[in-house]
Amino acid sequence: MYRIKKSDIVNIAQELSKEYGIFGPYIDRDAGQVMFDRLDDLSQIDLDAPIPAIPPKHVIYPHSECILKYSYDPTAKKAAIERIHSEKPKALFGLRSCDLEGIRVLDRFFLGQEFVDEFYLANRKKVFIVSNTCVKPFAQCFCACTDSGPSAKEGFDLNLTELGDEYLIEAGSEKGKAFAEKIGLAKAGDEYKDKKKKAIDISLDLFTDFAVENKAWVSRVTNRVTTGFIKEEIWEYIGNQCFECGACTFVCPTCSCFNIEDVNIGSGATERIRSWDSCSYEGYSKMAGDHNPRKPVEDRRNKRFFCKLSYSQSKKYLRPGCVGCGRCAWVCPGDIGLPNVVTYIRREITK
Amino acid sequence: MTYKPGICTFCGNGCGHFLKIVDGRPAGVFPSRNHPVSRGRLCVRGWNIHELLSTPQRLTDAMLRKNGGLIKVSYDEAIAQVVEKLKKFASDSPDALAILASPRSSNEEHYLLMKFARAVLKTNNIGLDSESGHRASLEVLNAGTGFAGMLGSAGAIAGADFLFVLDFDITKQNPILGSELHMARRAGAFMVTLDSRTTQIAKLSDVFMMAKSGSNKVVIAALAKILIDEGLADSAYIQKYTTGFEGFANLLGSLSYDDINTKTGISIEVLKEIARKLVSSRRAMAFYPSGISGLDVETIGFLFNLFLLAGKIGINGSGINPVTGLNNLQGGYDMGVAPDVLPGFQLLEDPKAHAAFAKAWGADIPTKKGRMPYELLSEKSSKLKALVVIDHDEGIVRYADRLKELEYIVYIGAFENPFTEFAHAVLPIASYIESEGTYTNTERRIQLSAKKADPPSGILPGWRLVCELAKKAGASWNYASPADVMNEIAAVTPPYSQVSYEKLRKSFGIQWPCDTQNPNGTEYFSADTSTKKLSFYPVKADYSIPTVSTEFPYQLMIGKAQHFWHQNNLMRLTKIPLREYNTTLLLFPEGYVEISPDDAKSLGVREKWPVMVKSHAGEMKAAVKISGEVRSGTAYIPYFIQETISKFLLEHREVLARGEDATIPVKIEKV
Repeated sequence: MYRIKKSDIVNIAQELSKEYGIFGPYIDRDAGQVMFDRLDDLSQIDLDAPIPAIPPKHVIYPHSECILKYSYDPTAKKAAIERIHSEKPKALFGLRSCDLEGIRVLDRFFLGQEFVDEFYLANRKKVFIVSNTCVKPFAQCFCACTDSGPSAKEGFDLNLTELGDEYLIEAGSEKGKAFAEKIGLAKAGDEYKDKKKKAIDISLDLFTDFAVENKAWVSRVTNRVTTGFIKEEIWEYIGNQCFECGACTFVCPTCSCFNIEDVNIGSGATERIRSWDSCSYEGYSKMAGDHNPRKPVEDRRNKRFFCKLSYSQSKKYLRPGCVGCGRCAWVCPGDIGLPNVVTYIRREITK
Repeated sequence: MTYKPGICTFCGNGCGHFLKIVDGRPAGVFPSRNHPVSRGRLCVRGWNIHELLSTPQRLTDAMLRKNGGLIKVSYDEAIAQVVEKLKKFASDSPDALAILASPRSSNEEHYLLMKFARAVLKTNNIGLDSESGHRASLEVLNAGTGFAGMLGSAGAIAGADFLFVLDFDITKQNPILGSELHMARRAGAFMVTLDSRTTQIAKLSDVFMMAKSGSNKVVIAALAKILIDEGLADSAYIQKYTTGFEGFANLLGSLSYDDINTKTGISIEVLKEIARKLVSSRRAMAFYPSGISGLDVETIGFLFNLFLLAGKIGINGSGINPVTGLNNLQGGYDMGVAPDVLPGFQLLEDPKAHAAFAKAWGADIPTKKGRMPYELLSEKSSKLKALVVIDHDEGIVRYADRLKELEYIVYIGAFENPFTEFAHAVLPIASYIESEGTYTNTERRIQLSAKKADPPSGILPGWRLVCELAKKAGASWNYASPADVMNEIAAVTPPYSQVSYEKLRKSFGIQWPCDTQNPNGTEYFSADTSTKKLSFYPVKADYSIPTVSTEFPYQLMIGKAQHFWHQNNLMRLTKIPLREYNTTLLLFPEGYVEISPDDAKSLGVREKWPVMVKSHAGEMKAAVKISGEVRSGTAYIPYFIQETISKFLLEHREVLARGEDATIPVKIEKV
């Protein structure tokens, strides 16, 4: 464990920037919104800002990226294939614990199964993660219900916890430790363990009643979703309110579905584009021969919550598919973000 | 910081977003939580707009038709030929030249194009490619209130307690506004939907009036009649604020209660409940589509009058609200892109307005109002010879035969477009993120869109191209930037008089009127600040509804605007929205006709079986789609899928022009 004066925290980012491109939270001046993106001016990093509107997943898994280019020259009868991926080292500085858990779910999806996604791997393996404990929760947060906060337990290289006018810095990896030693961070004594625990307890006490009350309910709803004991009418009620925009999936730190499209860019050349996709779109689950296992909108909604809240999915992710960030509730035109869905199912259970 | 704040310019909502630019190319999008219209939401189109904006299918070279083919030439060569030809046709005869502007252009582009047409080419034959829907709304609103735009605003919806949605698949067409209605309903507002087809918003409403197709106007007239007969009309309001009440009240006399029920299929009790809810509400708002799909003047007139009777125009943000389907349709009218109006909805034939513009521009402008390009195209005897088309979306394909006969067609646009097949000259321009410009959304919000990427090498932004055309034609125009153009717009357009780029840069847009009384814009129309009395719109006592005969027993509805509207010239350039659109098309490659389960049974057909749809004018083959979303006795054909527009539908042009509520009597036969 190490410590640093609060006002010196930017020095860590400065040190990291010698090796890594720095991505962190900042407030966009024109729109007044917290974003998480590449920063050239490190003084813009705002570690006190509420969780960013955009989950940092886009840094390692972009909304849309070209992963391959190929071309064919018909006169020479020659084909050329070029693999495209970015392997520039990146540091995610000031990641909230929910978003870190999101990346760990993506890791298990892209790297932890039968097939390893090379593009994700190339991007991911050069990432340095500095997480940031939420010493107070924000209005929509419910990570306390989904075991993903308010402080990261693992998966980081360094973890920051604000304690008064200093930050406690824990190293979570050899890489993190080596970095801390290299830049000569001051050591923190054992008493900081207690200080951190107190800070987290205070943070947990500050969660809204909604988040606290729902803690057990997220588990019960997971049970219901897994066993399928939810009435059709509930899904229909939810489905009727779905605008099929895809927002919930795009802002979800753990959603990983993508679309692949080959785009002809002229002169015989083609780009292969991978982009985020959404289970709320009808075309997403459409199969050849006009079959769609999830044609009605309520079936597509129900699929989403099966991904977020079911044991079978949790077995793959080694945790619930929801990390409690609350962003889906922000962006949903139908007002059926995950907390509301839990509430509707809960109402049915208690009826 | 690769995410740049901006506005989505797909539909008329004008939602706020961040566009991710990587190596000068759009590579992602994210919603803007503080934007007052969208507050963190985007629809399926908005969430994928980067796919459109990064498409390689761009127009990147000026082209002229030589020996039958389009040949790449320099901008200068193309501009020289275009100007020479346009000047020749403009002096030929008043009807020889027309300009079809795009409701997607920026206000600055609109203004300059309009000025180019009037002050340089001396023609008033300029109009927007959106047909008559929004114009009908502006006509009624301008006549009734002097306010030619939406009376309320998106932000006012949250405070409404009575919401009336008319003939509007709003959750598909303008989803974010639809979301606002849904949220208000969840917060306790009473929501009524009137439609002939079940929509999502119908399912989310307190009351869904599934009226017989073609009977919207009668339903609204019936509500008005009930207000008067039950003594519910707000007489104090009517006396204080309005004129023309007597005339309207008298004209409702010829509508009988027996008729109402048989014509509309809605019970009087339901109508009475709605009438009571309307008058007892604090803020009542009606929403209907405006633009390619829209209501006709008479229906809008009745709606306006109904709200006047209830005392719900200009009080606490109450009013009727046309919703534009295209990003700058409202701005187009604001900029005077119409044969008979000048910027700020000032009538061209008003000598004072006319003189003011002639003076401001230092040029003569033709005094006689012009004609709509569509009118000139459809009228076989018109002397139209040349046409200029900007960023074409839809509609014009109907006049393919006529287009082939024209002597000269200029196409100006950013993206590849099938319309270039007709063109003799093609002039490429930058896309909206490649130049600065302002766009006016459906709630009159003027928003500045910053430049976020460079245009393809050598390509001019639209406003610069128009300047080049004007200069080549001999005008001494000297605009340094879009901000410069806006300064001139503000000087000649009263509702824009206090608008400046400086102000716009510091805001999420300003809602006009933005003048000396309202320097920060106006959220909604207020009857108290109106300079004149509100007047009942002079509607006609025509309560007829389309009838069926034994020969043609079905009412065929032509859906123009569901989900992925406008025949998808833009959608085609995307990937995910295109796939969504294609799911419909894959299922029904030759289009479909939607009928109720009962009708399918009596016809003896099942899903996807082919049938012939026949009218007095022709016939078409289509596959059956069975759904509970249409009433028995009605059939529905989507018009938004270009592949399904058959000669049959083109024969019924006059029906298509009547708006979303118009129907064709047909018979359906099993093949």
